[in-house]
Amino acid sequence: MTQRIFKAEGLVLRTRILGEADRLVTLITWEEGKFEAVARGARKTKSKLAAGVDLFTHGWFTFHRGRTWPIITGQDTIERFPRFRDTPDLYAYGLYLAELTDRLVSGEEKCVEICQLLLEGWKLLDGDVDRTLLCRGFELKLTASAGYSPHLHSCVNCGAESTAGFSPSQGGLLCSRCQRADLIKVKPGTLALARRLIEAPLSQIKMLRATDWQKKELSSIIMAFFAYQLDLGEIKSRRFLKD
Amino acid sequence: MAYPVSLKKLVDVLCRFPGIGQKTAQRLAFYLLGCSREDVIAIARAMVEAKDRLTFCVICGSLAEAESCSYCSDPGRDQSLLCVVQEPRDVLVLERTGQYRGLYHVLHGALSPLDGIGPEELKLDQLVRRVEDKNVGEVIVATNPNVEGDATAAYIAMLLKPLASRVTRIAFGLPVGGDIEYADDLTLSRSLEGRREI
Repeated sequence: MTQRIFKAEGLVLRTRILGEADRLVTLITWEEGKFEAVARGARKTKSKLAAGVDLFTHGWFTFHRGRTWPIITGQDTIERFPRFRDTPDLYAYGLYLAELTDRLVSGEEKCVEICQLLLEGWKLLDGDVDRTLLCRGFELKLTASAGYSPHLHSCVNCGAESTAGFSPSQGGLLCSRCQRADLIKVKPGTLALARRLIEAPLSQIKMLRATDWQKKELSSIIMAFFAYQLDLGEIKSRRFLKD
Repeated sequence: MAYPVSLKKLVDVLCRFPGIGQKTAQRLAFYLLGCSREDVIAIARAMVEAKDRLTFCVICGSLAEAESCSYCSDPGRDQSLLCVVQEPRDVLVLERTGQYRGLYHVLHGALSPLDGIGPEELKLDQLVRRVEDKNVGEVIVATNPNVEGDATAAYIAMLLKPLASRVTRIAFGLPVGGDIEYADDLTLSRSLEGRREI
């Protein structure tokens, strides 16, 4: 991001009111990574930018490098997700994916894989899908893309294939000899599901079936992993999800 | 630049206003210095008086100087019509049109999970109770036309549809005086959806 004027394909993760009529927009872009930019006058009814910098927008953005933040000077929408506006549940799920991405991605570095993952997550949400399972799949794939994937194939300490459970502090599975106080027991079916969710494309979520128990187990290990390994703190939008 | 202490204090205080930077604060400070003592006292008194006297109406949540606001206590207003808005200032904007003669309900925000604002943080329970208790024929949802406002409107519709006879959303369309050429695609498509016969 060295040129004065630059263009990037991106997704709007968050918007905040800035000053009288501006918006501070958090974007994740394919080539320039995650950053904040100002949409001048975007709160005004006559603003041409207003709709283009709204949440859940996928588009091309043109920026002018400002003193503090880049200033959005133009926008072309590729896709927006109108059902997210009209369905409160979808709105909460869409925001959850956005917030998680926002919290996990820290800087202005190329993040093609993460952008594609979020876009695919939003597209799947917009269709007929098990939303809870999609969220679990998204969480696992996002952590893997960001380089923090939990170790789910063997004991993270000694490499033993037979494992006793998941240890958030160790970031993976532990065998009965290496087990620690924070061990969470996980059924083999849940582990197989977690591995599948990490390895398979997100779109295959539609083909996967999971029991309520498996979803609950997955959720508890992922949340414990997030809390211990990633120090994400409270993910505010999570309390609005129906699971 | 070395300001006299009292001038610096005034500039610093004025800087706290939204959108007011050092230069504007300085200009305002010099304007106040140019005013008569009576005018300055009147300005200061108006600020303190507004702060002391204004509260929120216990019925609708808009600004009031008594327990209930001037709209809720006006028997001439259409009691069967309720307009739901996000902020108290939105009431003043709608009143400026002179077109609306019903009552209001102020939510004091919109659903925004990223800011920790959920249904419990908004005045939605009061809204449901009002619609249940009073004979409300139509609820007009006039939240902002952005994602948060639209999601809030959808949530309100879900809550009120079984209670009120009509739940409507304010129309979306082109701003008066603007050119179609400069309109964004979402506004244009919504204005086509909401077109009316002439």
